[in-house]
Amino acid sequence: MASGSSIGVGGLFENAEVTTSGRPVIRRNEVECFLLSSVDLDSEDDPPRFTALRSGNLILTTHRLIWIPSQSNTAVPSSVPLAGVTHIFTHKKSIKSMFHSPRIRFQADPGSIVVTIVFRGKGDFDGFLTKFWECWRGRAWEEEEKVESEVSRSGSGTVAQGLYGNDGTVRMVGLAGILRKEQEQWESTDKSLQDAFQDLNALMSKAKEMVSLAEKMRQKLLSAPSSQNGSTDDEEMGSKEEMQQWMLSVGIISPVTKESAGALYHQELSRQLADFVRIPLEQAGGMISLTDMYYHFNRARGTELISPDDLWQACSLWEKFDVPVMLRKFDSGVMVIQNKSHSDEEVMSRIRMLVTKTETLRTGVTASDAALTLKIAPAMAKEHLLTAETKGLLSRDMSPDGLRFYFNLFPEIDPTNLHFVKDFGTYGEWVKATSLLSV
Amino acid sequence: MKRRPGIGGLQKAAAARDQYRLLGENVAKLRTDLMKEQLTTFRSQLEEFARKHKNDIRKNPAFRAQFHEMCAKVGVDPLASNKGFWAELLGIGDFYYELGVQIIEVCMLTRSHNGGLISLHELCNHLRLRRKKDREAVTEDDCLRAISKLKVLGSGFEVITVGKKKLVRSVPTELNKDHNQILELAQGQGYVTVEEVQRRHSWTSGRVIDALESLLEEGLAMIDDGHEDGKRRYWFPCVSSVYASSGADT
Repeated sequence: MASGSSIGVGGLFENAEVTTSGRPVIRRNEVECFLLSSVDLDSEDDPPRFTALRSGNLILTTHRLIWIPSQSNTAVPSSVPLAGVTHIFTHKKSIKSMFHSPRIRFQADPGSIVVTIVFRGKGDFDGFLTKFWECWRGRAWEEEEKVESEVSRSGSGTVAQGLYGNDGTVRMVGLAGILRKEQEQWESTDKSLQDAFQDLNALMSKAKEMVSLAEKMRQKLLSAPSSQNGSTDDEEMGSKEEMQQWMLSVGIISPVTKESAGALYHQELSRQLADFVRIPLEQAGGMISLTDMYYHFNRARGTELISPDDLWQACSLWEKFDVPVMLRKFDSGVMVIQNKSHSDEEVMSRIRMLVTKTETLRTGVTASDAALTLKIAPAMAKEHLLTAETKGLLSRDMSPDGLRFYFNLFPEIDPTNLHFVKDFGTYGEWVKATSLLSV
Repeated sequence: MKRRPGIGGLQKAAAARDQYRLLGENVAKLRTDLMKEQLTTFRSQLEEFARKHKNDIRKNPAFRAQFHEMCAKVGVDPLASNKGFWAELLGIGDFYYELGVQIIEVCMLTRSHNGGLISLHELCNHLRLRRKKDREAVTEDDCLRAISKLKVLGSGFEVITVGKKKLVRSVPTELNKDHNQILELAQGQGYVTVEEVQRRHSWTSGRVIDALESLLEEGLAMIDDGHEDGKRRYWFPCVSSVYASSGADT
């Protein structure tokens, strides 16, 4: 057992995946419960049985303990599955412990390694310990396996039980039998609905069942639309379906909350938002107003509403992180979210294409010309043209007819030899384009 | 030797088929009715729980996720706070935030019909439909309050007044595609009138006027009241081909 310690390290910690903005990637059915900052993970044993992890954020989920370094230094994000935890030591209160940073110890397999969690920052450690116990005792990972096996078993069963066999033909059961079976199904559904909604605790214990019932109803509704009675009622149903599709497509299972993230609330919210923003942004074509984003984000969070203020703060924090999106504020006071890459370079190259055409070299472009070619709103196009001007790509012509922009030829003109036209370059093309006119 | 079915046999078979079909239809109808009933119960229960036990649900992250999933699947809006005394008095609490989210939702869902411009009255009607289980109806004043809370998110979302009507605009000028359509329309003659845009795109007059006004502000349009038919013309010198030819002469 000479290499015992190294085996322990590999076995105890798994590498944890993180998103581009540094939030942990949560697996299916996993729910985030608590977050603490400035946490070390130390080995109790001497010599230490794994390399200590220094100063990171500790995230407790229903399935894992995830440690993410606060600065992206050498340490890698790691996680310990709660399934491997064999014991959580109770917190001893003594004179000595009052001078220490608070710590929690737990033992984990393989190798029965004792890990000490040291809290160097501020936070609700007792709250963490309680949740730690709760999640560990809750054994969410076992439930999952159970449900999965059940689903695979009952999945084939229910199909054959219905009115139709697997191959779509009516099964050879008497009519009365079919009707009776239908009846029984409905009664049992009725009963489980009643049971589940007695009080909150009943609903909590039956949550899994109710979720699958909801899914079943949804499927049935979707598969049998308005064939029976095409009244207004069905129309309403249809619109509702549409709506929930919308909400379903973007769900955040573990929204960052003030309760779970504490002091790190805005920071974590900002990271989560950066991860979330990607898809709605894509759908909106690379730019989305902050109010629309407020809606998408809150809808995905369900009951965990955030205030407009929180959203704004989360967006403003993006400057500090390395995230692929940015907040942009227009002079008019309108705020939008856009991709950093989308921002300027692509638009600039399209504007360059636009203004170097023979026709536009002569006539220049206005905001509305640019709007029609770039397929964006005129106000936006003007904004882009002005940016292009500051970059030296365009030069403006202010006249009673309005503001027009031309390709900026000044860099190509030699100050010592003003009338010299090179054979290549846009200046030459411009001379050709304008002289064509006079002919 | 095969016996050919006579007309009587055919008729009998057809009758039997009809009977089966009738029964099948009845069963199917019964089934959908029952399911609708159960779905309604499910929905109303969920709504009630969302309202009553909001804080308890929020305390338990694992259950919260499941609750949201249920709500999403059967189409229940989990946002259902009562206005309550403090919200009414001080404007605090989740009520106005929730209303804000719902207002944006209505605006976004109706955007394809109205281009991001909806009258306050219509908005309220939509919200009332959404919250029909609620005992308290949403007033226009509530909407205005909720919208004012969204101010922090930039000036894109605002209430404007066109004539006597209050309209809510959810698309900022920078992202408004209506302007492009008007410009395209103007390319033909160099100008448009309110009526013309209304007729060609079948927009409401409020939507047209708002778009034209902001084009005026941008300095893209010019007003001409002097035409003999008395209708105001909006000229767009920047797009018209008329301009291009005259500009080329100079």
